[in-house]
Amino acid sequence: MNNIVFILLAFLTCGSAIGMLITKNLLHAALLMFVVMFGMAGLFVLANADVLAVSHLMIYVGGVMILILFGIMLTQKRGGGPSNDLNVEENGKLFPLIVALGSFYGWFKLIELSNLSTQVLPGDESKIRQVGFLLTTQYSFVFELVGIFLLIALVGSTYLAKKDE
Amino acid sequence: MNDISVNAFWLVSAFIFSMGLGIILLKRNTLFILMGIELILAAANLNFVAFNRGDQEQQGLLFSLFVLVIGVCEIAIALAIIIMVYRSGKWKVESGKL
Repeated sequence: MNNIVFILLAFLTCGSAIGMLITKNLLHAALLMFVVMFGMAGLFVLANADVLAVSHLMIYVGGVMILILFGIMLTQKRGGGPSNDLNVEENGKLFPLIVALGSFYGWFKLIELSNLSTQVLPGDESKIRQVGFLLTTQYSFVFELVGIFLLIALVGSTYLAKKDE
Repeated sequence: MNDISVNAFWLVSAFIFSMGLGIILLKRNTLFILMGIELILAAANLNFVAFNRGDQEQQGLLFSLFVLVIGVCEIAIALAIIIMVYRSGKWKVESGKL
């Protein structure tokens, strides 16, 4: 059962990623990216990381989707002709495809060569209790640092995006 | 629940990473390149989580949460920069000049 779900999610994710590579339309690519993120959240669940899956869904499918769609809307030329401005230009197809496929082939060979057998701990209970405990004890400094980092990003992006008077 | 091997996760992750790399190299639009970077970050997260299953102390899971935060900050800053660049009028990624 898990294997079937994994294969379905893997095909959904990989197929949408191929679609992102193929399509020239910016909006289609944005929507396909959220299908990828959705499948990724399912894969996280299958890897026993329900905390990350839920936060991934909330942040990417909720927040980043809105941001990217706003970015697309705000960067379109106004009053264009009948041509579709959402279609983007591409570099030469040959070199990027060779690099992408070569990278995938390299990783594939590495997976084949590496005789990995990391053991998987038994038990599939939710890890949220443990994660919450670790975030407030052992990783509390990093947790605070991440908060300050988010604040810096907020202030910085607001400053960058404001109109110069 | 634990019957999916690490190699399967690694394979999916490698594929998503390669697609992200291909998108970054192929497309000439800054938003598109940003989406490729997001794909690469998600692939890295999948690897962290897959290898975390054998770890008693959940280091991979916590690290992937921090990767998520970094990715969101990067998106916010990058969109602000994109809007600024769009207003300045020089709005295109030249090939070979990244």
